[in-house]
Amino acid sequence: MTSRAAIALVYTGLLLMGLLFISPIAFMLAGSFKPDARVLMEAGEWRAFWPAEMSLQNYRDVFTRVDFARFLWNSLLINGAIVGLGLLVNALAGYAFARLAWRGRDLMLSLVLAVMIIPIEAIAVPLFYLVSLFGWRDTYLVQILPFIANAFSIYLFYTYFIGMPRELEEAARIDGAGVLRTFFSVILPNAKAVFASVAILTFLTQWGAFLWPLMVTSSESVRPLPLAIATFHSLPPLQWGDIFAFGMMMVLPVLLIFLVFQPWFVRGVAATGIKG
Amino acid sequence: MISMPALLGLLAFVVAPFLLAVVLGFSNLRLGSPLPLEWVGFEQYRRIFADPSFTRALFNNLLFALVVVPLQTALALVLALLLNRRLRGIALFRTLFFMPVVFPLSLVAVVWILIFAPGPNGTMNAFLELVSLGAWTPHDFLRDTRLALPAIMLTSLWQGAGFQMVIVLAGLQAIPAELYEAAMIDGAGRWQQFWHVTLPQLRNTMIFVVLVTTILAFRLFDQVQIMTQGGPHDATTTVMFEAVEAAFTRQQVARGAAMSVVLFVVVLLISWLQRRLARQEREVA
Amino acid sequence: MRTSKRETSAKRRAARRNCLIGLLALLAACSAEQDEQPSGAIVLEVWAHAGQAAERQVLERQAARFSGAQPDIDVRLTFIPERAYNAQVQAAAVAGELPDALEFDGPFLFNYVWQGRLLPLDRLLAADTQQDLLPSIVRQGRYLGRLYGVGTFDSGLGIYARRSALLAADVRIPAGLEDAWESGEFDAVLTSLAAHDSDGMVLDLKLNYTGEWFTYAFSPLLQSAGGDLVDRSTYQSAEGTLNGPRSVTAMSALQDWLSGGYVDPNLDDAAFVSGRVALSWAGHWEYARYAAALGDDLLLLPLPDLGQGSRTGQGSWVWGITKGSERPQAAARWLEFLLQPAEVLAMATANGAVPATQTAVDRSALYGKDGPLRLFTRQLRGGLSVPRPQTPAYPVITSAFQQAFRDIRNGADIQATLDAAVAMIDQDIRDNQGYPPPN
Repeated sequence: MTSRAAIALVYTGLLLMGLLFISPIAFMLAGSFKPDARVLMEAGEWRAFWPAEMSLQNYRDVFTRVDFARFLWNSLLINGAIVGLGLLVNALAGYAFARLAWRGRDLMLSLVLAVMIIPIEAIAVPLFYLVSLFGWRDTYLVQILPFIANAFSIYLFYTYFIGMPRELEEAARIDGAGVLRTFFSVILPNAKAVFASVAILTFLTQWGAFLWPLMVTSSESVRPLPLAIATFHSLPPLQWGDIFAFGMMMVLPVLLIFLVFQPWFVRGVAATGIKG
Repeated sequence: MISMPALLGLLAFVVAPFLLAVVLGFSNLRLGSPLPLEWVGFEQYRRIFADPSFTRALFNNLLFALVVVPLQTALALVLALLLNRRLRGIALFRTLFFMPVVFPLSLVAVVWILIFAPGPNGTMNAFLELVSLGAWTPHDFLRDTRLALPAIMLTSLWQGAGFQMVIVLAGLQAIPAELYEAAMIDGAGRWQQFWHVTLPQLRNTMIFVVLVTTILAFRLFDQVQIMTQGGPHDATTTVMFEAVEAAFTRQQVARGAAMSVVLFVVVLLISWLQRRLARQEREVA
Repeated sequence: MRTSKRETSAKRRAARRNCLIGLLALLAACSAEQDEQPSGAIVLEVWAHAGQAAERQVLERQAARFSGAQPDIDVRLTFIPERAYNAQVQAAAVAGELPDALEFDGPFLFNYVWQGRLLPLDRLLAADTQQDLLPSIVRQGRYLGRLYGVGTFDSGLGIYARRSALLAADVRIPAGLEDAWESGEFDAVLTSLAAHDSDGMVLDLKLNYTGEWFTYAFSPLLQSAGGDLVDRSTYQSAEGTLNGPRSVTAMSALQDWLSGGYVDPNLDDAAFVSGRVALSWAGHWEYARYAAALGDDLLLLPLPDLGQGSRTGQGSWVWGITKGSERPQAAARWLEFLLQPAEVLAMATANGAVPATQTAVDRSALYGKDGPLRLFTRQLRGGLSVPRPQTPAYPVITSAFQQAFRDIRNGADIQATLDAAVAMIDQDIRDNQGYPPPN
């Protein structure tokens, strides 16, 4: 069935699309090594994607212009907390919906489904007012707490757990394990894929969080990376090379994490309700 | 109950603020005003719907969804189909297409400002001139009333397609091989297989992808805030941009809250409509 | 699936405990991160804007010097990014989290006073200190007869020019404030310069900036034409002022420069230093960079005169003391310290701004009698600078004008755009019952 010509066609398609997808990234990577003035000057030529002379000056500039380590630490702390605590509470909730019988379960489940379509943006304004009233502004906590419980994650866990065979749990129960022990000793080891994919999804959406931190934080001591890039962009003198270098440094950790967990991710996505 | 922490979290940080938005939408709350709070009924709603910027924002969101949702879904499907085979280097391409997803929108927006730079020196202008063999005249994309929104659409498409692709890919890989084998025995060609096996099997995946992309389309904010600030002439303004401008820049919290409520109602309506359509289709099929 | 009741409730407790522990650990980690309490002295919370690196360093050093001289006061500085600074202040105010002293952009003072956030400074600052301030600083800091804010520097706005380009294009070079280019003449200057320029773009309006810049830099153009942002006799309406014929004239001139292709989009903020344009409409903060790039070829000229004489912007960041502060005396000492000539000069050297006191100006190499930036000093002392509207409605006025500027830049109909801006401003004033003075 798969003739040589078909394979060639597929590869051509892949290459073409690949080039289109990679070029903005190549543009950025190349720009990050160029002197600032050259970035815009060469944006319209092939040299946009290739630095004539490599220089790490922009990377050095980033460190002198902003406290990069501080922003990185803030982002890691905030995202780590959201992902970690989020996995715990949402998985437990998903499990409760999938396996336990309790009063109000169906009502709560439909509530979770409804909440799934409320974008954080739609509640940002009143939530901002609330946290201002409570004096929670400008802390790590205000950037973490609202995002731990996540209807979408609960839903993903729920569909995954529903599809898991019950035999394992029943065996554990017979051995006298309670709900939590069963969850931690039986469910968790057998559901690594869904945990990985929820973790990656959460991390990806939160790593770029912009609107909310913009509203509720003011000091650099708690601000995450995406705000730093915006500050960088609006702080004269405008130096594109520095911005690109900053961007590369900001993306690198995520890229590494993704590359490491990529196999898990695709498997996890395939196994959860995402696929239908 | 072990679901409590999550449910409490949702109640406290999603449901409660949402209810508060509904309540505030009927007031005249202005952040920091020493004047007493008043209840103004539907006045905020009357005003936002009389405000051409806001109606334009609604229209832009709708247009954005109408263009980006089908395009992005189709692109994701094409990419996933290309990737769904055992060829050498496939993993590399998969990583490549997914890579933009890893880039935060705030960063993507800043980079694409340069790509859309005006004059023949801009990357996009130069590229279009190249592929059109010189027929393209340079445009200032982000300041052109007709091109600004498409520019933002393209940026979003580039950043988001990889995510949908992974989901579709997962859906493709879950289709049992026996179905294809059966189709082949029946003498179905590649196209027939695609229409009669692949697409129907992907149905739920596609519904999911469409739903998520639609919701994302209505949340559009970061790119607008960074790339165009809603301009030119409100050509790229969105409901969220208007809401944040009102509540945050002008301290008109009540007005912003009313806009949020409208956003919610629209998203609710659309997802309800999509579910209905999906169900009907199932009944027909 | 069913478990006995006792078992479930035990698990429930365990679950609750686990979550609680997680949260508490997190909380502890967060609070440990933030507070490092120095011993003894009273802590003065101070907010400042995160400007350029040099500015920040000076302020940090000033805080250290101050604490060295006043061991009983420990200044704790928090830098807040300029972007959305006002919104941050508003949010903190609602939360009751304002610091003792804070810096803020001058024209927001009136809104803060109206909201009851600021303490009058007349009696807190020494009379000598107040007398030494530049008149523009006092004008910007007074509201309803009291002084609420003091800047340690003021700003200067003008047109930087490349002398050689002007000579090559054979255009008249204004000698000073009195003979600024007039409106038709300025258009002719642009045309002549464009004829000698490869891409015809000869003017930099700093279109790459965002936010307040547009009100700061272009409302003087309205005033030079006899228009304004709002009717300053009552501050109750912008009708007939912002959308009156004179303001329309000014904005038309601006739109003509833009649509005529004379203005460089300046995406890289290098239009002037790289030699792409001959004129740059910019503030004092660009002087150091421009002087380094152009040397003797750099000229500083007044903004064009659209009929009522050249006008310019003024005002910059100012300091105030919050009403909620429990140590206003200590905060006042901090302000007094910053206004000492040596400290004023230290900051002015770092950011290139106009020193805010007469003593410091006279000692300044840049702004003194023969300094290269003496034009800025003359503009401020000579009353040619116009403070931005002194009304609590300012946040909305500037927001409306910025939006109007964006639209006009993109070719919108000027009368309709200004009408819309007026409607927005007047609506806000009505909504706030005309901003009655606080009791």
